[in-house]
Amino acid sequence: MLFVALVGIAGWLLAGLALLIRRPLLLAWGLAGVGAEYATFLRLRGGSVDSRAALVAAVLLLAAELAFLSLAGGLAGADKGLIVRTAGGIAAAVASAALLADLLLVVSGSASAGLALEAIGVGAAVCAVAIVVRLAAR
Amino acid sequence: MTRTLSPKLVAYVGLAAVGLVAALALRLQELVVVAAPFALLPAVSLLLARSPRIETDVELERERALEGEELEARVALTAETGAARLEVLLELPRGIGVTDGHDPASISIGHDDRRDLRLRLCCERWGGYRVGRVFLRAHDRFGFVAWEWEVDRRSPLKVYPREEFIRDLLRPLETQVFSGHHVSRQRGEGIEFADLRLFVPGDHVRHVNWRATARRGDLWVNEQHAERNADVLLFMDTFSEASREGRSTLDLALRAAASLIGRYLQQKDRVGFVTFGGMLNWMLPATGTIQLYRLVDSLIDTQIVLNYAWRDIDVLPRRTLPPKAMVIALTPLLDDRAAGALLDLRARGFDLVVVEISPQPFMPAPSGEVSSVARRVWDLRREALRVRFQEAGVPIAVWNDERALAEGLEEVTTFRRRGRVVVA
Repeated sequence: MLFVALVGIAGWLLAGLALLIRRPLLLAWGLAGVGAEYATFLRLRGGSVDSRAALVAAVLLLAAELAFLSLAGGLAGADKGLIVRTAGGIAAAVASAALLADLLLVVSGSASAGLALEAIGVGAAVCAVAIVVRLAAR
Repeated sequence: MTRTLSPKLVAYVGLAAVGLVAALALRLQELVVVAAPFALLPAVSLLLARSPRIETDVELERERALEGEELEARVALTAETGAARLEVLLELPRGIGVTDGHDPASISIGHDDRRDLRLRLCCERWGGYRVGRVFLRAHDRFGFVAWEWEVDRRSPLKVYPREEFIRDLLRPLETQVFSGHHVSRQRGEGIEFADLRLFVPGDHVRHVNWRATARRGDLWVNEQHAERNADVLLFMDTFSEASREGRSTLDLALRAAASLIGRYLQQKDRVGFVTFGGMLNWMLPATGTIQLYRLVDSLIDTQIVLNYAWRDIDVLPRRTLPPKAMVIALTPLLDDRAAGALLDLRARGFDLVVVEISPQPFMPAPSGEVSSVARRVWDLRREALRVRFQEAGVPIAVWNDERALAEGLEEVTTFRRRGRVVVA
């Protein structure tokens, strides 16, 4: 558990440093560190599917959104409408992430393991990243 | 318009990819749950993102202002295709500040929407400016992509130096031939009594001095001093300046020049100016309101241009220095070339007055013994230069930000009352 805590602290420190020196990619590494902490925790724990994964997903997304908003200059000089819209957007995104995560947990719990399913998983992961890259390049 | 992907997108895609690969490698389905939102959010945001089409216009409340005055600038935005977040920066030159409003401002503008951004601008320093270039940056809803462009709607803004209070103007030693407000030495139509003389045919009966006539038995008439205008030339030394914390001797010189120009033109005098420095500029003496605007518009373009070339008064066109003109020099007396040119002007018989814009308030206090001695030597040299001017019959008024210009001008008037001025 000490190792898990060390990984987590390193992740949060990296994220804090990134905010301090305003480096977005360093922030990504920090968030990855926090994710790694959760992965280490899950690996060491073993057993059934962790029901708190949806909460972790929502909190990590919220932290990422707020951190990147801060790096982009925050809401200095923003009018009230924009502040409300931004806050509403982040809240909606986090709520959607939690819902999606819950849905994925239910689906993964009901599915049975197998090579075909793993192949579909790999394909889906590659497709998800490819779609985002394609949209960005549009 | 340039479209750029934000570092946030790279970070999210990277996190999603790493999370999904780790989930597969470690066989942890929880990591899929954690990583999926980082892939889904950019995908949805990019899918909904549209390139903004926004018309921008900039309006200034007025084209002219005085130093220290405030005016409103309005940035009108009309969006055909809006933006979830739009950052608007109105480029402001140095010397123009914002007292109310945000610059840059962040707003949200919808489709077929119209927004007005109002900024209260403060004209902190005199000068000729062009205001109206706007830089815009639009973001999609979650800030994964940005569009940047600029709109040039610049219009001129002239900020005139604020006026100094002047009670009495300097009276020129010589006047010109046109009517004005100065009592001339010449006799003619006027109010001020000059002398008595015998009546000659053609004299007006109303000029007969009946008391003198009754006493002497012949007709005697009063003579008056004529009221004439004068030629005033403002000589601005722009070789060098002393400045500190955004203020400089040039600011003071311009403020004094603008005040003197306005007051002399009110008195129907002909006023011209010469900026004598790294860059020569001049305007021939003339009178009237148009001349006032011409002069002040030219003055606000004045700047210090570094130049090592030796210049004397011969480089000025002859017409800029009309005979019998009173020359008021506004100088910090920091450059020998300007001092030499002024002494040369005096030697040529011009009625010269020097208003020394003191550089002392702009200088740091001397630290250490050596710098104290250096400062004293510098002060002594300046004092010696002042004595040279006074020996040549040139009154010097020392003026700085801490005292009124009227005080300095009064010193000149006192010098002229007591000193013997010889006009060559």
